[in-house]
Amino acid sequence: MASSSTGECSTGGGAGSNTPMSQSQIGQRMWEMANNMESVNSADEIYQYDSKQQQDILQAKPWEKDPHFFRQIKISALALLKMVMHARSGGTLEVMGLMLGKVDGPTMIVMDSFALPVEGTETRVNAQAQAYEYMTAYVEAAKQVGRQENVIGWYHSHPGYGCWLSGIDVSTQMLNQNYQEPFVAIVIDPIRTISSGKVNIGAFRTYPKGYKPPDEGPSEYQTIPLNKIEDFGVHCKQYYSLDISYFKSSLDKKLLDSLWNKYWVNTLSSSSLITNAEYMTRQILDLSDKLENSENALGRAGLFGLDPQEKKTEDKLSRVTRDSSKTTMEALHGLMAQVVKDRLFNQIPQAQQSQGQDHSQSTSQAQAQA
Amino acid sequence: MLSMEVDEEIGSEATPSSSSTQAVASTTPAAVPESSCHASTPAMPIAAPTSPHPPPTQSSAPGGAGETSETLSSGGGESVMAAAGTVGSISTSLHPLVILNISEHWTRQRAQEGKPVQVLGALIGKQTGRHVEIMNSFELSFDELDGHIIINREYYTLKEEQYKQVFSDMDLLGWYTTGDTPGPPDLLVHKQICDLLESPIFLKLNPMARHTDLPVTIFESVLDLVKGSATMLLVELQYTLATEEAERIGVDHVARMSSHDTQESSLVAENLQAQYSAIKMLASRVRLIAEYVRASQRSEVEFNHEILRQINALAHRLPVLSNDKFHGEFYNQCNDVALMSYLGTITKCCNTMNRFINRFNLLHERLAMGRRMRGLFF
Repeated sequence: MASSSTGECSTGGGAGSNTPMSQSQIGQRMWEMANNMESVNSADEIYQYDSKQQQDILQAKPWEKDPHFFRQIKISALALLKMVMHARSGGTLEVMGLMLGKVDGPTMIVMDSFALPVEGTETRVNAQAQAYEYMTAYVEAAKQVGRQENVIGWYHSHPGYGCWLSGIDVSTQMLNQNYQEPFVAIVIDPIRTISSGKVNIGAFRTYPKGYKPPDEGPSEYQTIPLNKIEDFGVHCKQYYSLDISYFKSSLDKKLLDSLWNKYWVNTLSSSSLITNAEYMTRQILDLSDKLENSENALGRAGLFGLDPQEKKTEDKLSRVTRDSSKTTMEALHGLMAQVVKDRLFNQIPQAQQSQGQDHSQSTSQAQAQA
Repeated sequence: MLSMEVDEEIGSEATPSSSSTQAVASTTPAAVPESSCHASTPAMPIAAPTSPHPPPTQSSAPGGAGETSETLSSGGGESVMAAAGTVGSISTSLHPLVILNISEHWTRQRAQEGKPVQVLGALIGKQTGRHVEIMNSFELSFDELDGHIIINREYYTLKEEQYKQVFSDMDLLGWYTTGDTPGPPDLLVHKQICDLLESPIFLKLNPMARHTDLPVTIFESVLDLVKGSATMLLVELQYTLATEEAERIGVDHVARMSSHDTQESSLVAENLQAQYSAIKMLASRVRLIAEYVRASQRSEVEFNHEILRQINALAHRLPVLSNDKFHGEFYNQCNDVALMSYLGTITKCCNTMNRFINRFNLLHERLAMGRRMRGLFF
């Protein structure tokens, strides 16, 4: 892997001119490459901040005409990592922070994020006066070191119960959308992030009061614990979610690639089954509650024989089924990793050797493809 | 410079480390002479600015670019590094977040200024005993006076107050900057940081590096007598990458987000992808070691008993865990998961049955009604 990428670099330089170059030309070319003569790569243009353009957008306020104006959100690698780690550091407490960014057409761009000195519990994080003071001071200080962007939204964590907006979140977001447009709300679930091995994140904007959203079919299904489902159900029609994509600079990309050279050990040595034991148990407890619930409903429906009720029980049961198969799948994935590691490190030497050859064969194939 | 790096890598191998698998595996590529020829290719362009072929535009280039090259040339002229044998007094671990933070800081400044600029910032984290964990960083503002960098102390105090509110358990550990090998200008900044903190560490990230290795080096300062006067010198510190689960997933996510967002793939494949690439990496490292052993067998490379002993020790670690207790636990775990999937299957089955019955009832509505009425009456 190491050799292939350096090979790319040198061939890239050589392919620029097919004629054989003199020694000094090669030297110059190498120097140019080393110092990145082109001022800004096209990939890094997003890091430029045009205050005039942003002011124009702020004046035009295109989002006032269409409550569904913003469709996409782009998050920088740094901001994502910062948010995930901050959410994780809060443990089972909710934490919150703000994001800095800008607007480009119907796309919101999040460049950076920072934590706020507030901690909430159970679906009710709310920024206090002290936090506002902190926020102003932080943004002011960030401007001095070349971070020109303004606050574009807030994020908070929902440890263990999925990415959606609770009643209080909806009112907070609505307030901010009235006074601080453009504004977006991001929710991160650190516990599910770990259990599923993927970053569990959602970006939302609320509709203005009294706006009746077009019925858009069910959004992506997610598990919500029984004790929160009511809160979710009441407010879920008051906001919509944005499509999330990510971006990174060319240097980020390079660093991440080389980071992987040292990082793979961590991937191999982590076990999701052990880190998630508690979450899994809670998940199963929740499932049993839900099953009991649907059983009761089923009993009643059987007695009275009402059609709409029947429809409901079917709905309930199938939802529980989906939850249970998701939990099972995650556990199975964890086990698969364990089994692979057991095969790799604990089997008798002969087996180990043949497997090693298998892998080396596959890697050589992969390299050949590259 | 290159040979020194290799020497140090070998030196680090010799020191006993608790996670010997990781240390050996990750340092071997540099230690094996064969692979150093890979490293020599990317090292060339870095040395190039001091070579006699700089492009003519360079001489007139002001600001950042000139500054970098100044650092480079002066670094070559006057060494600020302590003697090669000096070993750092502390162990450090570095979180990937810091690396991304610096990278973003540099990219942002470059995008706004239109040219590469040197950036500066502070490192914060925790220290326990002789182990330092660099967990986060923030930018610092500075002024330039006659080419010397002077840190804006007021700005630092402000930022310190801010991070203390959010990360109350973290302290200032040192500072970071970008550029190539450290030179006298870096020492001047280092002395300013020394006013804030007794023995700061110094992280340098080289955004222009063509290495495939991580272009990050960490130093600490020592006072040494050079020609009769006490001089501050830098000692390179070995570091490991620290991580926690959420951070790992985050890094995985951003590192590979472009690769599989378009085509649909099965959940299992997606999950195994990370495992697969890690094992691929392991296999390539193992292959490298095997090649090295074979090469020394053919006496193509000199016998290095230190390395060979380490390889032997590594090979003897397999199988890693094979006592009965582990097997018992492992089977337990397997059973637990099997039970979970069994329950999951039953639930699914129930659901299917329920739906089937509902549909059946719908089809034979009257029949069902009749039965229900009977159920009510009797």
